[in-house]
Amino acid sequence: MFNALFKRFTSHKPSRNTAKKRLQFSLIYDKLEVNDTTLTDLQNDIVAVISKYFEIDKDALELKVKRDDDVSALVFNTPILQVKRKRAS
Amino acid sequence: MEGKVIVVTSGKGGVGKTTATSSIGAALALEGKRVAIVDMDIGLRNLDVVMGLENRIVFNIVDVVLGKCKISQAAIRDRRIENLFLIPASQSDNKDVLSSAGVERVANELRKEFDYVIMDSPAGIERGFQNAVVGANEAIVICTPDVSSVRDADRVIGILYSRSLTPKLVVNRIEPARVERGEMLSYEDVLEVLSIELLGLVPMDEHVLISSNTGTPLVLQNDSKAGHAFKRIARRLNGEADLPIEVPTHKNSMWKKISKTLGFK
Repeated sequence: MFNALFKRFTSHKPSRNTAKKRLQFSLIYDKLEVNDTTLTDLQNDIVAVISKYFEIDKDALELKVKRDDDVSALVFNTPILQVKRKRAS
Repeated sequence: MEGKVIVVTSGKGGVGKTTATSSIGAALALEGKRVAIVDMDIGLRNLDVVMGLENRIVFNIVDVVLGKCKISQAAIRDRRIENLFLIPASQSDNKDVLSSAGVERVANELRKEFDYVIMDSPAGIERGFQNAVVGANEAIVICTPDVSSVRDADRVIGILYSRSLTPKLVVNRIEPARVERGEMLSYEDVLEVLSIELLGLVPMDEHVLISSNTGTPLVLQNDSKAGHAFKRIARRLNGEADLPIEVPTHKNSMWKKISKTLGFK
């Protein structure tokens, strides 16, 4: 109780709260970190799926994780060469 | 009935993993269980000195896994606490001498002979850690209330989950006075960040260093607060899951108690 009063007067911000906030942020960012193998595997899978419908330029495509302060996004960019005709089965 | 293999791990080194392992193991033995503590920190063995058994090492865990000796030859019996055994690490070998399959086989053999097999994992998340985890049915994660330890604990918890283990947390070295002054993360802060089940709270205690100086079990020192906390952790592991978790407080917290009963926070 006295501690709380004391703190109010000194307006000294306890480092405990800073520690907690910094931890929470860093843990979120840690989890958004994607390693290269996962990214390569993901790229191969995406290419396989898209190739069923489109002919794409496999050398020009790019896949990356974009990170801003509040949102993270997976960006996949690929030139489409041709739409594949689906044969009636 | 087969025993349980419990891995004690932390990610970060120096958070009290070895103390926790030896104390929980000793406390379980005091509860009447047959306990084997296994030092999995190959090349950097420590449990033997902390437990005061360093002069009695003949064989080690590497010898057991490589089939050079029997489990009973490598397990050192503690003379102070009945049913407590230590299988030391090898000091000369490299971590890579052990295969996961070999460790898993030995862990399964140990389960048949002991009620609890406690694996003390090395720091880190590499090969040595993987080997300590491979045969485990349960996991305990130790952390201290500081940012680097909590962050590493989070990483380890993630890896344990991916191996279908649901770890429980022990927060070690809590300094209640500093928590109260706002200088240290409280255990609630740590739990909120890690969102994991709590197993116990251990206060900072001068007895820990003294007991490792002399190689005597912390849980045999009746005035040790940390020893007391580890005993309760052992009871909670050993079937008394509902035993309340005591929150460390400091002596001069009379005002806190009064203000709490008056409804102030």
